[in-house]
Amino acid sequence: MADSHPTLREIGRSLPRLESRAKVNGSVEYIHNLRLPGMLHGKIHRSAIAHGRIVRIDAGAALAVEGVHAVVTAEDVLGICPNPYYGPAFHDQPILALGKVRHVGEPVAIVLAADPHIAEEAADLVSVEYEPLEAVFDEVAAAAPGAPVSHDELRPAGTFTDLKHLAGRKGTNVALETRVRRGDADAGFARADRVFEHTFRTGKVMHAAFEPMVSLAELHGADGLTIHTASQSPSFVRSEIGRLLGWPENRVRVRTAFLGGGFGAKLYIKLEAMVAVCALLVRRPVRIALTMDEQFYTITKHGATVRIKTGVTSDGRMTSRKVETYWNGGAYADIGPRVTQKSGFTAAGPYDIESVALDNYAVYTNDPPAGALRGFGISQLVWAYERQADLIARALGIDPLEFRRRNALRSGGTHATGTTVYGMEVDAVLDRLAERMAWHRPFDRGAGTIRRGRGLAIGVKACVSPTTSTAAVHVHGDGSCAIHCSTVDMGQASDTTLAQMAAEVLGLPTTAIRLIRPDTDVTPYDMATLGSRSTFHMGNAVVRAAEDVRDQLLRIAAAALRVDLAELECRDQAIVSRGGARLTFGDAMRARFAMQAGTLVGVGSYTPHYTKPDGETGQSPDITPFWMLGGAGAEIAVDCETGRIEVTKLVNVADVGRAINPASVERQLTSAAIMQLGFTLFEEMVFSDGQVLNASLADYKIPGLLDLPRDLTGSFVEVPHRDGPFGAKGVGETGVFSPAPAIANALYDAVGITIFEMPLTPERVLRALRESENRPLEKD
Amino acid sequence: MNRFELVEPATLDEAVALLDPDDSAVRAVAGATALILMMKARLFRPSRLVSLRRLQGTLRGVHDEPAGGLRIGALTTLTDLERSDRVRAAAPVVSRALRTLSNVRVRNVATLGGHLAHGDPHMDLPPILMTLGARVRVVSRRGDRWIEMQDLVRGYYVTSIANDELIADVHLPAQPADAHTWYEKFTALSADDWPTVGVAVWYRTGAGRITDARLAVGAATERPMRLAAAEASLIGAAADPASFARAADAAADAIEPLADIRGSAAYKREMVRVHVRRALDKGR
Repeated sequence: MADSHPTLREIGRSLPRLESRAKVNGSVEYIHNLRLPGMLHGKIHRSAIAHGRIVRIDAGAALAVEGVHAVVTAEDVLGICPNPYYGPAFHDQPILALGKVRHVGEPVAIVLAADPHIAEEAADLVSVEYEPLEAVFDEVAAAAPGAPVSHDELRPAGTFTDLKHLAGRKGTNVALETRVRRGDADAGFARADRVFEHTFRTGKVMHAAFEPMVSLAELHGADGLTIHTASQSPSFVRSEIGRLLGWPENRVRVRTAFLGGGFGAKLYIKLEAMVAVCALLVRRPVRIALTMDEQFYTITKHGATVRIKTGVTSDGRMTSRKVETYWNGGAYADIGPRVTQKSGFTAAGPYDIESVALDNYAVYTNDPPAGALRGFGISQLVWAYERQADLIARALGIDPLEFRRRNALRSGGTHATGTTVYGMEVDAVLDRLAERMAWHRPFDRGAGTIRRGRGLAIGVKACVSPTTSTAAVHVHGDGSCAIHCSTVDMGQASDTTLAQMAAEVLGLPTTAIRLIRPDTDVTPYDMATLGSRSTFHMGNAVVRAAEDVRDQLLRIAAAALRVDLAELECRDQAIVSRGGARLTFGDAMRARFAMQAGTLVGVGSYTPHYTKPDGETGQSPDITPFWMLGGAGAEIAVDCETGRIEVTKLVNVADVGRAINPASVERQLTSAAIMQLGFTLFEEMVFSDGQVLNASLADYKIPGLLDLPRDLTGSFVEVPHRDGPFGAKGVGETGVFSPAPAIANALYDAVGITIFEMPLTPERVLRALRESENRPLEKD
Repeated sequence: MNRFELVEPATLDEAVALLDPDDSAVRAVAGATALILMMKARLFRPSRLVSLRRLQGTLRGVHDEPAGGLRIGALTTLTDLERSDRVRAAAPVVSRALRTLSNVRVRNVATLGGHLAHGDPHMDLPPILMTLGARVRVVSRRGDRWIEMQDLVRGYYVTSIANDELIADVHLPAQPADAHTWYEKFTALSADDWPTVGVAVWYRTGAGRITDARLAVGAATERPMRLAAAEASLIGAAADPASFARAADAAADAIEPLADIRGSAAYKREMVRVHVRRALDKGR
């Protein structure tokens, strides 16, 4: 495929990041460092109980603290915002708790003061009287009839037409139920030689971005509001704040900077509505910055219960599969219903299975809200179907790699949703895994108390659809160029990747391209930086915008040089003709504007084709713009006396279409694998009655350098995608799909035990080991 | 964080004069790595913090004692200790343990005195210093007194240091050349986590038999403690796997582990058993 781009200069190069120097010397902008003149700090008083009616809020003691400017409660919010419920899928989350609280840590009041320590001290003094209500935390229990219900009625947002039918539904915690039906799964089980049925669980974990959430709001002009926020979705924030205030979007400006990590936590509305309302109430700039600890009560990854039943023939062909998944969405829906649906329809995995029935339930509980976290629900499902794949393969005496090959869904095959698969390089990924793992060579499984094992897994995601991106490329009077787009660089190297694409089109070095930070007054709409969609969607938009402005330049040059348009191209920082004539971009601007002045604007938009799935069967001929396939192989050593797992080797392989920046692609794969390694081995929010017992980085541990496998690599296969910019697909999440089941499969390989719940803590492993040896550890 | 007074006395006398025997909201602070976390979590609300920063000239450093052993100033940072040639020569078990104690950012500012005075059962050095026979000198306006390391921490975050006392220095006696020492640390979560179990051992042998033994456990129990029954089981026994396993069983039977997010009591008991045995074995 390299033939179709015979002269690529900037694409495919491992260029250093454009912002590296500024990040190292500390000059890069983060919203966290922003201070505005006359600004007040807001500190949040949070609910101490998981579910209850608010009887009375007494702010007297807080207001009496010297230096406190105001205490804001839901009553005050109503004066600004008569219908203060927000959310991307459901309008269910009040800006401040209104009438009742639905999870521990829910914001109830905000104390404003010029000194953040005074605000914090006073926030403790707000006194709230509750009438406690019964709470429910388990997603399966919460979905059952008779469970205590958190929301009196469902309030779907108007933006998703497929949720409209849910409006006003009462007496349930199931926010959304989605189905996929292909063939007759029950008949398939009846015909199968063997049927396997298991239940897998994953716990709640947190993003732990190193820049905690932060938002500031200030009034501007006669009737405008500017929000500075560490957000992955500035365009969404603008439209949602506009809707909450009843303002046209053009009165709301949302700007952001580099983010110190996001991972899906900084999407939609987090603190933006609070600072907007506070700024409008007190007519001063307001800043709210969370501590690391508060983030545990703000947004999490979904815990999930996955029941999976699979029928196979005795020669190892999966013929029928049913997957029933309960997603613990916590107290507010956030993007949970979308996680449920968009990941839920992939629950049969990257396999070609004749009959499939998938049921997904987005469930309200009284845990903190769950939303997107790098992978959008995929890793919970891969955990189940790839663990089960190994259990089936072992039971049938088939090599796990061979079992996957036998069942793989390949390009040209039909996915459970009815979409014909394109761009799913499953054989190439399995081949690379086999090679990197030396799978067909003998493996030393150790002896004595240290046992070794190896395992692999593959998982698939469908990039979320429908979404849209727009970009503009500006050429200034001197010929220099800037990309205007709302993709947020939060460490994933999107600035550099997008600049490489524009540079390729314009014949410029990547370092000559400047990116304008997302600012809704300046940069065009983008759905959000999420779901590995930016390289593909914004990449296409940037390429189109660059082509647009390039064509304008070529037309100017054709006239100025009096040569045929077809003779010209952009190359070597200029417009050059086949005959050797050369015009710099600055020359072209002078030719166009008769002086060194003016602006040329190229615009590009990208909205992939998509067909909404049928509500009853989930069938769609066109469910996703691209499939993301990721495989992992793990080698581990298990200390059989402590249960501690040491991952000695971890290989991640992704099908990426084309790597625009190979070093960045490898880092995305490896960093995703490290994140998933933490979730696999020890990260878990521990709850007691809705209270997080380890809500701090002192007790919620994330992997450090000493936890990394000695042999940790990211690897990719490239088969350019027909619709991707230069053939590229997204890669930010692919590395999280498969490490957990690969490690658990290695654990089975090493010591023959199966653990159904993540994480694989030493105690869980030791207990399972001792159970298998018939000398169980005491209960506590 | 609440409002509080921060004072920075220039001398030890001034520092102890600023402490209040009856007010636990008045606290001395050195590196503050632990105390600030408690203040941020609003578990501790000081009225006055007495910063010992300006006392570094007198209370920081590792010195040879005329009669043998080391005197280590309370404001010696953990990094100073880690890199001290004197410490490495006198007690390599300490130097080695420091390399995995928390992380380099914490070690650069945390001090030995703070590490001991905090009374947190998860600290690495108390069990080690117990087995090495260390003593702590505390000072107050009432004068100096010595506290044996094994008597320092009396309960969960409870020490025998009075409100108006400060640790001035730690005395590490000269170790016999034939002492076997080891510290075995087990983390259940990340590698740089607090220990789930820490086991320190010290023993001497003669004619193939163990002649003296000190064992201490940290992190698993409400305070770091000596393991008397396990020690007794070793005296006179051969320094071999069977004796070590017996001592490990005695240790596991003697303790009452605290369950927390790092493990149930049953699991921690098992980990004490495994790590006592491993520490004795590695000390060989």
